[in-house]
Amino acid sequence: MWHLPECRDLSRLLIGTALYPSPEIMRRSIEASGADVVTVSLRRQNPTDGGGEQFWDYIKDLGKRILPNTAGCRSVKEAITVAQMAREVFGTPWIKLEVIGDDYNLQPDPVGLLEATEELIKQGFEVFPYTTDDLVLCTRLAEAGCKTVMPWASPIGSGQGLLNPFNLEMIRKRLPHISLIVDAGIGKPSDAVRALEMGYDGVLINSAVALAQDPVAMATAFGGAVAAGRLAYEAGVMPKRNFASPSTPTVGTPFWHGEPS
Amino acid sequence: MSRTVGIAGAGLIGRMTALALHHEGWSVTLFDRDQQAGTNSCSYVGAGMLTPLAELEKAEPLITEMGLWSLEAWAALIDRLPEPVFFERHGSLVVAHQQDQRELEAFRTQVQRKNTTSARLHELDRRGLAELEPELAPRFARALFLEPEGQLEPRMLLPALAKALQAADVTWHHATPVTSVAPGVLETDNARFDFDLVLDCRGLGARSDWADLRGVRGEIVRLHAPEVRLSRPVRLMHPRYPIYITPRPQGQVLIGATQIESDDMGAVTVRSALELLSAAYSLHPGFAEARILETRVHCRPALPDNNPALRDETGLLRVNGCYRHGFLIAPALVAAVTAFAAGRAAPYPALFHPSSSTAHQGR
Repeated sequence: MWHLPECRDLSRLLIGTALYPSPEIMRRSIEASGADVVTVSLRRQNPTDGGGEQFWDYIKDLGKRILPNTAGCRSVKEAITVAQMAREVFGTPWIKLEVIGDDYNLQPDPVGLLEATEELIKQGFEVFPYTTDDLVLCTRLAEAGCKTVMPWASPIGSGQGLLNPFNLEMIRKRLPHISLIVDAGIGKPSDAVRALEMGYDGVLINSAVALAQDPVAMATAFGGAVAAGRLAYEAGVMPKRNFASPSTPTVGTPFWHGEPS
Repeated sequence: MSRTVGIAGAGLIGRMTALALHHEGWSVTLFDRDQQAGTNSCSYVGAGMLTPLAELEKAEPLITEMGLWSLEAWAALIDRLPEPVFFERHGSLVVAHQQDQRELEAFRTQVQRKNTTSARLHELDRRGLAELEPELAPRFARALFLEPEGQLEPRMLLPALAKALQAADVTWHHATPVTSVAPGVLETDNARFDFDLVLDCRGLGARSDWADLRGVRGEIVRLHAPEVRLSRPVRLMHPRYPIYITPRPQGQVLIGATQIESDDMGAVTVRSALELLSAAYSLHPGFAEARILETRVHCRPALPDNNPALRDETGLLRVNGCYRHGFLIAPALVAAVTAFAAGRAAPYPALFHPSSSTAHQGR
């Protein structure tokens, strides 16, 4: 998403709007996080009957860019219907596409995801697919026309952090021109720092803030983490070495102490 | 001559306020779109949980303070009603299935961290649980016991309040929707009434006067479960909202409530029914043969901070935003309203909002 000129300066933290103790604490948390993009789910609020309008108005009033999602959708057809509804409710072609394939760990259905992605791109959507950390799938999503791809770090809401950093790094290296956002599983600010240090363009969080004991304070912590991680990536992390290398000369040390024993 | 008050809305808050102001010598007139039985009000669907400590998980300490005060007040208030109302204070339990143990631990730390009162939460092992609820001990090795908590039956309370109001000669215009309220003036479809004070207790019915008011959908299931013997409300940890399984008179058990950001008043959905019923069945196998008596849906009136609010102008006081806390805090909220009406210093000053602002005001 940062490839778009109008998005270049947006915060690298994206934040969800579910599970907060109250809409007011949600508002204060989002402000504290510094996020410019918020995600919102339509699925359970009976939008066909105008069900969640007031709650969506709160979200619109935040003045942030809205990235609606298809959370909870289990089929291609359902995801496409919710995407179309979201475009109408929020007036944006952006859609965070979720097609859930497994009820226990809410793992995306890779086949359905690709199919829904192709269809929605055909219909003019800017699709942000939520996917597993599978290199081939991420590549196929990029080839289908996604400019942003969102692999998980671990299952949604699990707070397990980056379970497979190897996969995430490989995806980063192989898709250098795609905006990559770590979408699910971030539990603590250090997880976000790691993702950004790796060169990920952003992270998307929700439970990590909403379910913290003090959501507003945790949102501030994440804002700082994302800034630190990005700055570290831009600054260039020094290479790892397999031996100690003192930064001051060890003149006062007898030479035999440095000999291998 | 006594001062006159017109009250719009005869849900829980409208009824309680009417009775309290009558006792203070006001001449009270009540208006409501519903019948006196109150079966269409949000209060009628409420579960009547009096759980001030457990609410701390999400709510502000103010709710807990009001809730603890209200528990004492309920006992005295229900005693004076002309009909019996099911009300008990044997504490409540919080349990979690094995895979949700971390949620239970997070709940415990959050409640203890935010608790500013002397009310206590106790940790129970299986033996401790067996002493309180022998039928739960086989399935749960651990529980939290929230000592001061209790519950009441709204379906007995609302008619009992109606009876007390009838006995008190309160004028009650039922099936009479209020179309507008203003300082000292209340209008219905075909009449205009003048009062010294107008109170607006219409909840979501007053939506046009509260820009930021929203509905939060709640669904409940009522069962007849003679094989289940519980003595107190049990809260089962759930990733999205608290589910209470709570015993009621005559072998009934109430399960609820869901909490969905929606104004939709349509019938209970399959998913919600499954969640509520499987919560009960996973708690106790005796629910397998229980009968489903009914499912009910209503929407709670809520403000952005999920706290209640009082907005006053001379001659008009608006009460709203009870959210999921109506029964929990009603006596305390009504005490604030009656003190305000009488010109005394009202308790809980944080509830009062300036009338010009409707929301987005952090307090």
